[in-house]
Formats: sequence, C-alpha cells, structure tokens
Amino acid sequence: MTLLRRGRWITGVALALLAVVYVRALAYTPVERFQGPAQKIFYVHVPSAWCAMLAMGLVGIAGILYLLLKDPRFDRFGEASAEVGTAFSLVMLTTGPIWAKPIWGTWWTWDARLTLTLFLFLLFLGYLLLRGAVTDPGLRARYSAVLGICGLVLLPFIHLSVYFFRTLHPQPIVLKPSAPSLPGPMLFTLLFSFGVFTLLYVGFVTQRYALALFRDQAELGGGGGRDGHA
Amino acid sequence: MPESIPQNAGFMVAAYTMAAVILVGYAVLLYRRTRKP
Repeated sequence: MTLLRRGRWITGVALALLAVVYVRALAYTPVERFQGPAQKIFYVHVPSAWCAMLAMGLVGIAGILYLLLKDPRFDRFGEASAEVGTAFSLVMLTTGPIWAKPIWGTWWTWDARLTLTLFLFLLFLGYLLLRGAVTDPGLRARYSAVLGICGLVLLPFIHLSVYFFRTLHPQPIVLKPSAPSLPGPMLFTLLFSFGVFTLLYVGFVTQRYALALFRDQAELGGGGGRDGHA
Repeated sequence: MPESIPQNAGFMVAAYTMAAVILVGYAVLLYRRTRKP
C-alpha cells in the first residue's frame, strides 16, 4: 500500500473512531455534578492539547536529527507535523475558552498556561510562515529545524506551568506522578479519546508527508507520480 | 455539593461542533490537496 493511501486509510479509521468518541463522551459518560455537561469538553480539549504538544515535540526532534544527519526526510516530517499540530492547537484554543466561559466566567485570562499555549500556536504559525518565506531548500530546512527545537524547549514549561505559577487552569489529572484522579468511566473515555486523537495525528501526518514528498520529487524534476513511496 | 447540576450543555455542543469542524475540515482539505494532478 502506498504512503498516501495508508495515510488516507488511517485518517478514515480515526475519523470513524472519533464519531465513537463523541457518542461515548456525550451519551455514555456520566455528567460531572459540579461543572455540568460543559465538563465533557475535556474529552476533546485535553487530547487535542496532547496532539499539539506531541506534534511540536516531534518537530523539534526531527529538527535535531536534520541538523545532525542532513536527511531531508526529517525536514519533510517536521513540515508535516507542524501543519497538523497547528490544526490540533486550533482545536485546543477554541474548545478551552468555550469550557472556561461557564466554569470561570470568562473566555480567556492571561495566565501562564493559557499564554504559553497561545505562544505554542503562534510558534506553529511562525514555523509555517518561515517555510513559506525562505525559498532555498537547505536554508529553509536549517531555519525550520532551529525554530522546531525552540518549540521543543517550550513544551516542559507548558506542562509544568500549572506548578510553577498561580493559574486558573486545572492541574494535570493523568500525566502526573501519582495515579490518575478520575472515576473509571471518565478515565476510559479520556484514554480512548487520547488513542483516537493520536491515530488521527498519525493519519494526517502520513498524508501531509506524502504531499511534501510529491512536491520535493516535482522540484527535483523526477515526477514520481502520486504513489508516495518514501 | 451543588443543589442541581449546572445547565450549560450549549457550551458542550459548541465545543464538540468546533472540534469536528476543524478536524473534518482539515481532513477534507488534505484529501483535496493530495488529489490535485
């Protein structure tokens, strides 16, 4: 199976499973008694934040590997992961304020966690704009790798910002040293959603990588069609 | 403990709709971009 077709299949399966997540979260997961139905936003907000951070982490690691090995596959992967990460961070930045309005009474507050996640989104945009602005492929790959590594450095600060600063944002309830503090059905829905969002990330990145590969093959003049063999 | 559960399902529906629009929209966009000759 070609790379592009594999990406489409993974994306299709992940979108079907996303529908299952929606049904599971909305119809079969208990309503939290203090926050009400708005608490269920958590099942799309947290996994999208996870995927945005995973995407930026892998952009940074791909950047390091590109600078060490000068292999264009890492640059292509960084490009793909950054674009997909932008989509997931957009989900994170829209669902977060929609949850915050009924719970905090405000759409947005400039506290450490929220400001840093906005910065992450802007870093993704900057990465994509940089790639569009630099025409020389070697320079583009090098500058992008450096920006990706800056993003990787940002990630621990985002995760730990709720410990370092006074913030309205809730503390981690799964990715923390002690056991997850959620009732069983809620934890199952959250972990299922994590898996589906991660699969969706893989499907998107595979397709986007194949697209970058076609472009590179076309730029080299080799054609290569749209079969996407990496 | 609150006397009654807060009635804020509209926010939940809005958030799930936004997430679906962005993710399905991006999937469609990728499909169209990879189909171009």
